[in-house]
Amino acid sequence: MCQRAQPWLGTLVSIRVEAASSVAAQAIGAAFDEIGEIHRRMSFHDPDSELSRLNATAHRAAQAVSSHLYRVLSASLALARASGGSFDPTVGRVLVERGHLPAPAGDAPDPGARWRDVSLSTDGRVRFRRPLWLDLGGIAKGYAVDRAIACLRRQGVAAAVVNAGGDLRSFGVRHTVWVRDPADPGGGVPLLETRNAAVATSAGYFNENPPHPAIVEPQTGAGLGDDGSVTVCARRAIWADGLTKVVLAHPAGSVSLLRRLGASAVLLDRDGGRHHVS
Amino acid sequence: MRDPVLALWLAPCAALVAAPVGGTTYFTVEQAQAALFPGAQMTPHPVTLTPGQVKAIEKASDTRVREKTVKVWRASSGGWFYLDQVIGKHELITYGLALDAQGVVRGIEILDYRETYGGEVRDPKWRAQFVGKKMGSPLHLDVDIVNLSGATLSSRNITTGVRRLLATHALVVGKP
Repeated sequence: MCQRAQPWLGTLVSIRVEAASSVAAQAIGAAFDEIGEIHRRMSFHDPDSELSRLNATAHRAAQAVSSHLYRVLSASLALARASGGSFDPTVGRVLVERGHLPAPAGDAPDPGARWRDVSLSTDGRVRFRRPLWLDLGGIAKGYAVDRAIACLRRQGVAAAVVNAGGDLRSFGVRHTVWVRDPADPGGGVPLLETRNAAVATSAGYFNENPPHPAIVEPQTGAGLGDDGSVTVCARRAIWADGLTKVVLAHPAGSVSLLRRLGASAVLLDRDGGRHHVS
Repeated sequence: MRDPVLALWLAPCAALVAAPVGGTTYFTVEQAQAALFPGAQMTPHPVTLTPGQVKAIEKASDTRVREKTVKVWRASSGGWFYLDQVIGKHELITYGLALDAQGVVRGIEILDYRETYGGEVRDPKWRAQFVGKKMGSPLHLDVDIVNLSGATLSSRNITTGVRRLLATHALVVGKP
């Protein structure tokens, strides 16, 4: 058993694996390298990241992007389409306005721009129909967790858990996932037991900027997650991560999408109530 | 231990980890140094800041300097290891920062993470597992409290700590 934790993607990422110690050290190192690369490519804060360069230029001409960025963007747009825009990677403008993200230099985004203004071509290029700011903070952590898990499997570890501040995936070990209690976030409640699955939780407690919740409904700009938390269980962390925002926005309306993706959700409210969706 | 995989999982770590619920020890100082500077000899290079240096670091990094003693090691392969602690609203984090010979960040490792309030688990059934176990039993390892924005705040505190250490390095420790 070997475990390590490093700060990446604006949170703490912990990895623990079951493997011979020489294999474990190398496998964890390789998984963190992969997460570090995804962080560097998708950082909204870093003006030199691949994402920032895309945000500055893709409304003027189509830009070639890495396979990492392409995959996350395809997943984001698929989720945006399937959720009718409840998930929308062009939410960067609203999050900058609310003070959750720093304003990038360059052309101001068009307030009317939405996910439909982002087009991906099959040759790996991305083009914006209007100036806009993509933010992948609602899905990139899930993707990084999936890639880290794939990396650990390739390295031959028998069991592993990767947890990126609320986006968690494991294999080879049965394991009880606890989440913070919305009624009292200092304590935890046991929520579900998983094996070879991904779990992601989103919630508004611990928000440091109270009038402006850090999770917003992209279409209305309304703050989400004030009342409790949403936990989604899915096969892949990228879907679990992205779906938490969809369920927060429209719990009842997300049932068919959850089913289609083989996912389920649990909502916890501040009064200790627990509601299962799907 | 409900299944053999889990039993396997827990057995080897008994000697490794001594952490109560609500906190995790990932690395000792030596393990963190070995991970960040593989194969290097580490020589302690302790520094005590003068009041003038404290002021200069606070100004350059826009952070408070709470500790005048800076824990630094020099790596035989070139580079520096800083051991530091950040205290957030809810947590206490010990971490290591590795800089290369030019003072550029090479890596950050969390050594220890502790909830400073209420990190305890309230479910009595679950707590019953601990009856008869010593504090520090590795039983907590089959549990993950999904950490949410608590981890986001922690990561911000680490960012601030790193900014302070980089100023300390530029103005004092690594100054030619």
